[in-house]
Amino acid sequence: MPEVLVADSGVYIARLTRLTLTWVLVALVLFPILAVLGFLMRVLQAGFFAALPPEWFYAVMTLHGLGMVGLWFVAGMAGISFLLSRYVRPTLAVSWIAFAATIIGVVLLLAATLVGRLGVGWYFLYPLPFHSGGTWPAWATASLFAALAIMGIGWTLWAGDLLWAIARRYRLSDALGWQYLRGSGTPEVPPIIIVATVSFIGVLAGLVAAVVILVLVAIEQLTTGFTNDALLIKNLTFYFGHMLVNITMYFGVAMVYEILPAYTGRPWKTNALIAASWNLVLLLVMFAYLHHLYMDFAQPQWLQVAGQVSSYLISVPAAVVTIFSTLALVYGADTRWKLPSILLYLGVMGWAIGGVAAVIDSTVMVNSRFHNTLWVPAHFHTYYVMGVVLMILGTVFHLASDLSKLPESAALTRTIAVTVGVGGYGFLLMFYLAGVAGVPRRYAAYPDEVARGIMYARASLLFITVLLGGALLYIWETGRRCVRALP
Amino acid sequence: MTGTPFAVFVAAAIVILGVFTAVARSRSATVDYAKATRLRLLFFASLGAILLFFLVLTLPGLPYPVEASTPDRVVHAVGKQYAWSLTEGPGPTLAAWDREFSPLVSVPARTTVEFRVTTLDVNHGFSLYAPDGRLVAQTQAMPGYMNRLRVSFDEPGAYTVLCLEFCGMSHHRMRGVVEVK
Repeated sequence: MPEVLVADSGVYIARLTRLTLTWVLVALVLFPILAVLGFLMRVLQAGFFAALPPEWFYAVMTLHGLGMVGLWFVAGMAGISFLLSRYVRPTLAVSWIAFAATIIGVVLLLAATLVGRLGVGWYFLYPLPFHSGGTWPAWATASLFAALAIMGIGWTLWAGDLLWAIARRYRLSDALGWQYLRGSGTPEVPPIIIVATVSFIGVLAGLVAAVVILVLVAIEQLTTGFTNDALLIKNLTFYFGHMLVNITMYFGVAMVYEILPAYTGRPWKTNALIAASWNLVLLLVMFAYLHHLYMDFAQPQWLQVAGQVSSYLISVPAAVVTIFSTLALVYGADTRWKLPSILLYLGVMGWAIGGVAAVIDSTVMVNSRFHNTLWVPAHFHTYYVMGVVLMILGTVFHLASDLSKLPESAALTRTIAVTVGVGGYGFLLMFYLAGVAGVPRRYAAYPDEVARGIMYARASLLFITVLLGGALLYIWETGRRCVRALP
Repeated sequence: MTGTPFAVFVAAAIVILGVFTAVARSRSATVDYAKATRLRLLFFASLGAILLFFLVLTLPGLPYPVEASTPDRVVHAVGKQYAWSLTEGPGPTLAAWDREFSPLVSVPARTTVEFRVTTLDVNHGFSLYAPDGRLVAQTQAMPGYMNRLRVSFDEPGAYTVLCLEFCGMSHHRMRGVVEVK
């Protein structure tokens, strides 16, 4: 078994616990607010409150998207930091800096969207932030980029420190599991170290692209005679965005590796297959983003083919290693089915289902019918809402219950699992059906040609209400455990 | 066209749901590692075969125009917040937009029409919806680039051009019409 750090850890763990619970409490406050904004978007698409100007829809859409992507990224980082403390010692001050940067970023984004009515979508595709058409003022665009820069610096420091903490204990090659590929298997490293190492390298690689975008945009804005190449910026934007979202999912998977064995009674040991698959993921995730640009016909065709091949290939290590291993871990294992294990297991299932939808959409031929229809939010909400979010929520409940010692109510657990399952998949099904029917995504209101989108939006409201009910029940149960557990 | 991928998705989702449910309800058993390894290998081979099958099946159907062939008609589609200009001659410039902009163009049915798609401001998504509401084809409109989309319309009627890349406040109102005769 990999050696666990215990010596001189009392004060450190108490401080880390306070820090982690602070992150969790902020996430538990932001999560329902951002979810209600999503609900509001579907209300408007359902044709209700038609008098509300569309710029409000797009401002809310921007806040919902940026907020959710950022929220689950930092929640994943905070959760992983806590779980890593069994093996390594990240610097708590750096995490606090990232926390402060995140709070400042959130305030700037709230101001930009709710006061300035900035409506650019979560990936703010260049040059849209600079073409407001009179909808939002210049300060809102400046506020967006300031938020991104501040959070980017905080998160780079955070990921760098976590990687450095791993490197202080393990050689980088060992942390990536190369000793398993050489056949030696020593020193032994737990799977979470390999997944975390791959993820932090990915975060830094993604943030490099974000820095390049910010610099290029700043040069264009501050000088004359220089115009950015729209295709280059688009490649950089999707490389960064796809990386950030994928890494968040890997955080969730790392949590499954670390927590689920406690409920199945079977260890999840690193082997050559796990090491090989995650090294392959690190390579392929750099290219999979290309599937976002299939409809940019000016992109060289060999890159489009590379996008489909790498998008197909990246599903193999995930399915063969993580999904298969989860099933093997649970099969015949007398699993203790508590809320954490249920959510982690459902999360892996959601990841698998969302993965299939993503692979289908990463087929160029299919993408020409599904691109930017509601199939897109359908698949990414599947592996977010019913995937990584459940993995993170399961982990948080595990930690909160463990720290607070409050017992779990079987009836509440059943209620949460059923409402989240039924509400979640019902809500997603309406997205999928609308996507198949060609209903565009990101429409404040549906014109006659795609008016069937209204029907799907109305049906989804029922399911979202059920989902929100389950989420609020979870938040209440977890929140009171976190408050009780604060040292 | 969209029915087949949806059927594949639903079938896969049902299989995944069934397997996860069966495994969660499985009775207590010890792990047979040799059997698990064989099963994993079989799973790997099956998944690889399925993915390879779909790669071979779909890659020949790339929607990009073949340089060697010549289209029967050319239509210039120019996006600008929040309208499409559709013209047979070169599209309008920003300065001449009000004079040269046309939201409607006519093309014959059963001929190859090449849409030369670009934009004068931000990214837009050029999409064609058939009279029955089906999404027929699409490509992006990017500043500084011209994307060429070739379509052969089998049925006459009014095809609506909508924007499929979020472009601002009136994104959902951006439209044009291709009249197929």
